[in-house]
Amino acid sequence: MIRVNNLCFSYTKKPFIENTNFEVESGEIFGFLGPSGAGKSTLQKILTGLITSYRGSVIVNGEEVRRHDNGFYENIGVDFEFPSLYEKLTARENLKFFASLYNKHRDIDKLLLSVGLINDADKKVSDFSKGMKSRLNFIKALLHDPQILFLDEPTSGLDPSSSRVMKDIILDEKTKGKTIILTTHNMYDATELCDRVAFIVDGKIRALDTPRSLIMGRGASKIAYTYLDNGREVRTEIPLCKTSEDETLSRLLRENRLLSIHSGEPTLNDIFVELTGRQLQ
Amino acid sequence: MRIGKLLMGDVHFQFKYGFYFIYFLFTILYIGLLFAFPESWRQKAAILMIFSDPAAMGLYFMGAIVLFEKSERVLDSIAVSPVKPLEYVLSKLCSIGIISTVVSLAIGIPAGIVTNPITFILGVFLCSCMFSAVGLIIACKTTTLNQFVLATIPAEILINIPAIIWLFWYKESWLLIHPGVSMIVLCAQSGGAFPALIFLFLWTALFVFIACGAVNKMLKSVGGVKL
Ligand SMILES: Nc1ncnc2c1ncn2[C@@H]1O[C@H](COP(=O)(O)OP(=O)(O)O)[C@@H](O)[C@H]1O
Ligand SMILES: [Mg+2]
Repeated sequence: MIRVNNLCFSYTKKPFIENTNFEVESGEIFGFLGPSGAGKSTLQKILTGLITSYRGSVIVNGEEVRRHDNGFYENIGVDFEFPSLYEKLTARENLKFFASLYNKHRDIDKLLLSVGLINDADKKVSDFSKGMKSRLNFIKALLHDPQILFLDEPTSGLDPSSSRVMKDIILDEKTKGKTIILTTHNMYDATELCDRVAFIVDGKIRALDTPRSLIMGRGASKIAYTYLDNGREVRTEIPLCKTSEDETLSRLLRENRLLSIHSGEPTLNDIFVELTGRQLQ
Repeated sequence: MRIGKLLMGDVHFQFKYGFYFIYFLFTILYIGLLFAFPESWRQKAAILMIFSDPAAMGLYFMGAIVLFEKSERVLDSIAVSPVKPLEYVLSKLCSIGIISTVVSLAIGIPAGIVTNPITFILGVFLCSCMFSAVGLIIACKTTTLNQFVLATIPAEILINIPAIIWLFWYKESWLLIHPGVSMIVLCAQSGGAFPALIFLFLWTALFVFIACGAVNKMLKSVGGVKL
């Protein structure tokens, strides 16, 4: 669906995105995970044809993006980081207008219903809260039933329930066979939604794999337990795979002396820090 | 037809954002003013009004419309839609051109200057499109209303002064190559309508062409790269 070969781009003379290569399969949710300023939105702008002064090759839906014609956009839906809506028109008027620019469109009421905006459909967008605008902006990207969806930080700054609604719709679009490119600095979203994740720092891809292998391939799962030793609480951490070799643990288990025991996997954030030396937030 | 859909969108936008209300107020104001003039002045005053305002509304209203679209980031969405720059430009020009023509007829008919409705309508419509195209070009390159208004001053002078000179003092036929003059000739039916139409059309086409380039650049700049 998307094939990027030796992509180079910079806003300035200083190198930024350099010799980047990756592919996204049809029907996949592919995540760009990285801290603010890493170049996620820039990559998305290149993939959606808004930046054409790149070097290398970027093929989206069979077309070299630099040379796209306007039919290119019939099959691409873009949800920008910030709402792009007519503030003085109602939600429905906005959707109707944008839908009218495309050849095919979905049922507007169903979309409004899916994000819980049906009762606000005839309110002006200027009266909407931030979360409502984000949800409206999000379904605007789905209006023409595009084959590829580009979502730039779709859940950023949203309350948990709005964010849940959006994530369910994203997963739903995937079951319909859509290819989805998701940009985020939220490791939970990336872990939950993405089939594969690319770690991005300073315009470079530092790692690319499924969230599962990234987590498993690095720091193995661990066990942490606490117990009392001469009246002092002691905390110990061991790898899960070394459980049987830990004599202390076996003894504590036999003697019922454990105060607490937890197993835990490293989070994507831990892996991100380990691989890139950067924090996500 | 996408351009029809765009045009409906533009008309709807102008209605919702209160532009039609302003058009309406202007029309009332002009007609009132017109009848305050003595009979003998009325025709020239009407032509001047039709030339300088309803037709020129395009310049300022276009600025306001595009700056609204910029500030609400709507252009980002237009940039990733199948809309072509020419469609965007023509739709914007027609939306204002149509209302300008209606307003001009509302002023021109009571003033008794509409002797040939066809040349009158063509003159006003083309002239409005030309002004709107100039407004669009300037709006593409500016980001605030102040910048925009400042940048329209030279355009206003270049388009208005020769037309006013022609209307009041200096009726030499070579001035016809000026778009403002050819518009007045078309509306006022003082002969030479055909060459006037050609010149006005060529000017309009030229500015539409430049406006397409400016819109293309503006939509591309959504990506943040100066081309
Ligand atoms: N239009 C622009 N012109 C110049 N530099 C830019 C522009 N947009 C973004 N940048 C710079 O490029 C880098 C990446 O930005 P961006 O892609 O928006 O990051 P992210 O989306 O990962 O937060 C940042 O350092 C930012 O300052
Ligand atoms: Mg970003």
